[in-house]
Amino acid sequence: MQRHDVIVVGAGLAGQRAALAAIHAGVDVGLVSKLHPLRSHSGAAQGGINAAVGAEDSVETHIYDTVKGSDYLGDQDAIEFFCHEAGPTVVEMEHFGTIFSRAPDGSLARRPFGGAGFPRTIYAADRTGLALLQALYERLGTERFTVYEEWQLTRIVVSGGRVQGIVAYDRRRGDLAEIGAKAVIIATGPAGRIYGRTTNAHACTGDGVAIAYRAGALLKDMEFVQFHPTALLDSGILITEGARGEGGILKNSHDERFMTRYAPHVMDLASRDVVSRAIVTEVQEGRGFPDGSVHLELMHLGREMIESRLQEICDFSRDFAGIDPVTQPIPVTPAQHYMMGGIGTTTRGETNVPGLYAAGEAACVSIHGANRLGGNSLLETLVFGKQAGEAAAEYARKTGPSELADTDLDEVTGVVHGMSDRADGADPARLRTEMQSCMDRWVGIYRRPEELAQAARTLLDLKERFRSVHVADRSSVYNVNLTDALETGHMIDLAEVIVAGAIARTESRGAHARVDYPRRDDTNWMKHTMAQSTPEGPALSYAPVAFTRWEPKERVY
Amino acid sequence: MPPELIQAPFEVYRYEPGVDPAPRYSHFTLELPPHTPVLTALLKIRDELDPSLTLRYSCRSAICGSCAMLVNSKSRLACKTQIGPEVARHGKIVIDPMRNLPVLRDLVTEMNGFWDRYRRLEPALRPNPDRPMPVGQPNPMTPEQVDRFMETPRCIACAACYSACPAVEADPEFPGPMALAKLYRFVVDPRDGAPRERLLKIQSEGLWLCLRCHLCTEACPKDVRPSERIRDLKEMANRARDPSEAGSRHSVAFKENIRSKGILDEFKLARQTLNPVQLLESLPQGFKIRAKKPEVTKTPKPIRNLEEVQKLYELLDSSGSEEEAP
Repeated sequence: MQRHDVIVVGAGLAGQRAALAAIHAGVDVGLVSKLHPLRSHSGAAQGGINAAVGAEDSVETHIYDTVKGSDYLGDQDAIEFFCHEAGPTVVEMEHFGTIFSRAPDGSLARRPFGGAGFPRTIYAADRTGLALLQALYERLGTERFTVYEEWQLTRIVVSGGRVQGIVAYDRRRGDLAEIGAKAVIIATGPAGRIYGRTTNAHACTGDGVAIAYRAGALLKDMEFVQFHPTALLDSGILITEGARGEGGILKNSHDERFMTRYAPHVMDLASRDVVSRAIVTEVQEGRGFPDGSVHLELMHLGREMIESRLQEICDFSRDFAGIDPVTQPIPVTPAQHYMMGGIGTTTRGETNVPGLYAAGEAACVSIHGANRLGGNSLLETLVFGKQAGEAAAEYARKTGPSELADTDLDEVTGVVHGMSDRADGADPARLRTEMQSCMDRWVGIYRRPEELAQAARTLLDLKERFRSVHVADRSSVYNVNLTDALETGHMIDLAEVIVAGAIARTESRGAHARVDYPRRDDTNWMKHTMAQSTPEGPALSYAPVAFTRWEPKERVY
Repeated sequence: MPPELIQAPFEVYRYEPGVDPAPRYSHFTLELPPHTPVLTALLKIRDELDPSLTLRYSCRSAICGSCAMLVNSKSRLACKTQIGPEVARHGKIVIDPMRNLPVLRDLVTEMNGFWDRYRRLEPALRPNPDRPMPVGQPNPMTPEQVDRFMETPRCIACAACYSACPAVEADPEFPGPMALAKLYRFVVDPRDGAPRERLLKIQSEGLWLCLRCHLCTEACPKDVRPSERIRDLKEMANRARDPSEAGSRHSVAFKENIRSKGILDEFKLARQTLNPVQLLESLPQGFKIRAKKPEVTKTPKPIRNLEEVQKLYELLDSSGSEEEAP
């Protein structure tokens, strides 16, 4: 059996940064990823990474913007730490080899982003995530560690009150194996595929979050789901906020720049929850286009600017929507984009389970609170990836060897074989599609109590049917049918937590907008939702928000 | 208004080595709007018709590089290729796994060969002892210096270029278009400490095996233009030191040959390219060629209007090259 001091699951920016930090701390690291690291969804991040490095900007303003953007649900001590780490983090990535866009004087170029007081978002054209991912992968490649490429996490082994390792599935060979570890870091990223209409990749199925939840980790603030205002109409493919940062504007079918009504000061660059609600309201009140979209106009920026700074956006619009943004408006609507919630952690990535750590989108520190600002998630992956890597290494060094019995491996093997051995049963693709349309319809931008209740009933039914899920493909090589089934099971669990949190939270805050409780309720709801897995479903409890210096105010943009 | 639908007949390669006796094709016909990406169609087949169809996919927006495959014999990203033009041109959509990579199952290939070649070029910034990184500050770099990377940062390592490359097929020593484009990215990086060493090393590690067919550039879904970057590397390599490899001597001799006579002197080209041992080894081939085409071994006369050719050379020389040797 393989053993490591620290196993990192997920090889996007958070996972790779965690691995690098743990290696630097002198422990033996195994990196497990269901995709080749360069295929991770971090690479799809377009707009940029925030750091208050401009002369007119300050860390203090970055902190304030993030606190305000979070609708005061972000933990202020964590946000302060996070924003102070921004500058050094970006410099380190530049030294690793990231090819950032530059200003004429040779400094890092910056663009304005939503909810930010100053142009603070450092970028690499409109493929910042890819630029960072390549540089970090290349830097990590100079170190010694073990990669489990195209291995999928199936269980975190917890016994004797601590983490002992994982069970993982080798997608290429079909083997299940137990791998010992003193500490496990979950950095498996998003779970956006819970929704049908999402900017997220197909691989974003929240595996690590769901498996940590099953292993006893508390999930935090899962009801806060970010919808990005501008995704391509048919495919849900992301059009970066950077497009508006560079001067793009939103228009309704009356040719009105409607954001002037919703955010008179910053208009199209209001925070994402505000812009997404504005778009839905415009469409619902009959001012959308017949296809249900609004238009994102870039034409006035001119060909040269569009084709140099928004090159990928140009390609996306042309290839996936048949639209040339140089001459035509881009029809957009909001789509699921980001989970503010995740595995609850400290700023060092620690969870409530000894030896279990989490970082990146899979985690919830919380710095994003009820709504994340654009440009803060790339930064989060790197800042807290490093923290989790260091903390896990430190823990591993003072912890005895992991002890694994075969119980967990046998159980997982039983479950997996059961899926293919039964003669008939529910089709994983069908369950997934039903879950996605349930979430799209009833757990979207505006939430109504009767629709949330309907979603909860549908999910219970799906959960029941999942017990007899049937994998028709019997092959041991790259069995996508099987991994699809496992992932669908993970997503149904997480969807249940999202809906439970949304039903309980009788207020509107950030991305959680209840039509029956349209106002923020600081008296009763200035607190984090914590969900624990029980046989009866999620059990909710609440934890206080950390305050330092910023008093809650009404959010106006 | 319902969107216009087209009939899209799919023939999809199916094979699991060690299990299936031989590769076969599965046939599916779907009715979809013409702008539907091939990947969307394949996933529809997986979800609704045959869950055992095996492929890699993730982002569906041409940024993760997972879904490269052959679409009607061309190396393409399935997510970026629309079914309409394919059906219009070929009447059907034939899907095969990438070339130059062994099949694991159906459209999933073993990509270790591709990644190994990339890693062999040591793709990571090397510290520059003479110019340490500024403490606590980013390295200054102008927009013009960023422009020197050309399109290489767009590469998503999908391996479409590797699949399309005949040099990869012919010679296991050839690093492949992606790895060389990646190497270019480090050679032009002002932060890298070893651009000259990289150039000298690649001279003997396959740089000159590129056939200049540009199929990689044609296949690349991100417009990285690997063949142009390989050309740039060759120019820089020749300037980094005296031409030493047969490939580099060949390119220099070719250029000087044309400059002096306006026409290629094949026999002289061979003498200038090959070392004495190689020349001896190629004698039998030389005799064969002479028997068939005796004019090749005769020294050609300078063409008429040679001055026109030389004017072109002067123009080229004075315009300089974009790529300076480090």
